[in-house]
Amino acid sequence: MTMVDEQELRERLHRAAGAIVVPEGGPERIIAAAMASVEGRAGTAGSTPASGGGPALPADTAPGSAGTGGPGPSAGRSILPRHARTRRLLVAAAVVLVGAAVTATALSGPGHRPLTSATSASPGVAPSIARTGASGSARTGSVSTGKAASPSTPDLPSGGTPSASAGAPSSGAASTGASSSGSATAPALPSGAVGQSAKVVANGSVDLTVGDGKLQAAVTTLTALATSAGGFVSSSQVQVGGPGPAPEPLTSTATPSSVSGSAGSGSSGTVVLRVPEPAFGSTVAQVQKVGHASSVTTSATDVTGQYVDLQARITALEQSRQQYLTIMSQATAIGDILAVQSQLDTVQSEIEQLQGQLDVLDNQTTYATLTVTLTEAGRRPPPPVHPQSGLTRALHDGVGGFVSGIEWLIRIAGTVLFVLLIAGALAFLGRWAWRANRRRML
Amino acid sequence: MRGRADQDDVDLLETWLEESYARSFRTACLILGNRSDAEEAVQEAFLRAWRFRASLASGAAATPWLYRVVVNTCNSKLRQEIPHRDHRSGEEDLTGVATSGDLPGEVALSRDLARALGDLPVPLRVVVVLRYWADLSEREIATAIGRRPGTVKSRLHEARRLLAAHPSLKSEESAPFRAEPEVLP
Repeated sequence: MTMVDEQELRERLHRAAGAIVVPEGGPERIIAAAMASVEGRAGTAGSTPASGGGPALPADTAPGSAGTGGPGPSAGRSILPRHARTRRLLVAAAVVLVGAAVTATALSGPGHRPLTSATSASPGVAPSIARTGASGSARTGSVSTGKAASPSTPDLPSGGTPSASAGAPSSGAASTGASSSGSATAPALPSGAVGQSAKVVANGSVDLTVGDGKLQAAVTTLTALATSAGGFVSSSQVQVGGPGPAPEPLTSTATPSSVSGSAGSGSSGTVVLRVPEPAFGSTVAQVQKVGHASSVTTSATDVTGQYVDLQARITALEQSRQQYLTIMSQATAIGDILAVQSQLDTVQSEIEQLQGQLDVLDNQTTYATLTVTLTEAGRRPPPPVHPQSGLTRALHDGVGGFVSGIEWLIRIAGTVLFVLLIAGALAFLGRWAWRANRRRML
Repeated sequence: MRGRADQDDVDLLETWLEESYARSFRTACLILGNRSDAEEAVQEAFLRAWRFRASLASGAAATPWLYRVVVNTCNSKLRQEIPHRDHRSGEEDLTGVATSGDLPGEVALSRDLARALGDLPVPLRVVVVLRYWADLSEREIATAIGRRPGTVKSRLHEARRLLAAHPSLKSEESAPFRAEPEVLP
């Protein structure tokens, strides 16, 4: 690669430049133009300085430069307002952007909270039928809203209940006996029932969190509640956690109260309360006070129509049975007796079936079902294999730390992105303004 | 507004013109390669500089700043105005600019140089003119063109390489403008 010698280049350039003839009167023309531009700006507030530039630059003094009168004003016009306008526009856009971002952040901040709290815990919402549907009936295991409407559910979940509410299987025979014995008074029961107020099947479930080691006390309280309301405990199931003090949690997210490490730590239980339907609402309210209610669902289904329908069908069937009995008492031939008997059996079984359904409805409407799921506060997923040896434990700690680090990264990613975005926009604006300013100065 | 344009300001402009007009005009001529364009550019540059005289800090040297304004004006002229108009007649070219020299060799020499300069890309031409005619340092050139000193250095390097390879400079064996072979390690 060859290079031009610097000294030679300098000499030749100097010689060439020295040969250039500086035009005569150039400085004078510039001064005149400057004065003219000042006059023009003073006269017309800078809008038409070209009018002042014209006379100051006679055509004969500026040969071949028709636009010579323009430079001063045009430079001013093209440089100042355009940049100022664009910059103002950009700054306004940036302000709007930042403002919108800040507003969005401020709005989304409180916005998250109600959302999560609504899904996790809602002690205040008692009769929300919309939410009850699946979860409520599934938890209680009793007749759900959908099933209650259909009469094809002869099995009662609380079949093993005490005799207070006359379980369905046993009551079938009892009612049969009653109806067969007092056939004349049979219609009296339905009419009395129809006169009653609306039949409502009420279900509910409450998830309670109780203090560490207070599970048994809570079960006792719940039993007392049911009894005092005139109801009973239909079933209760308690799972006591691991014996001995609660092992230290692997992930240190424990609440301070859970460090007590009592014997019952990690216990959970389910208590199904049956309380008279009128006392259902107050019982739900009281149950919530036993511990911290993390979720409450209740549902109510009006089954009055179904109830009346069942009663009417039973009445009709009993009347026909009565007639069959009359016929049978008059029959003499064996064949007739057998025929009537078979009819009578059919009617009788149908009556018993309907009566069973009626009893189920009766039971459900008389006693509301409230399923209470109890969890101790300190309960957490039991540490599967707690590594006690140093190496394994260190390995576990390392994995845990790594995972939490990743989690942390993901958590702050949004914030970082936002901050970077803002910073980038500001940097771009600042750089742009700086450049524009520099350009303007020259 | 009229108050600002008092005698002091006019004196300032006169001082600038006295000190720098000739040099600025020659610089613009070398960059633009054209007398009338150079005259326009210099006038525009001085008017612009005078209008923004407030941005020149008091006490700061006006000369580099004026250079900068001139170079920027030439740049914008080359970028915006000149490409969009018809070529001027040949006598307006820089090759016909040097008329003061009586020696024919001098004229021919300038013409060759002018051709070589005109064939250089504008950014390279600007740094060459500023470095070897205006005698600005690399740092001052960097300030004048708003680039980093490293950029100036590399542009100078590239310009010298291109000039050395230019036929109108190369062909003259007797010219002092000889191409030096670089010593390779």
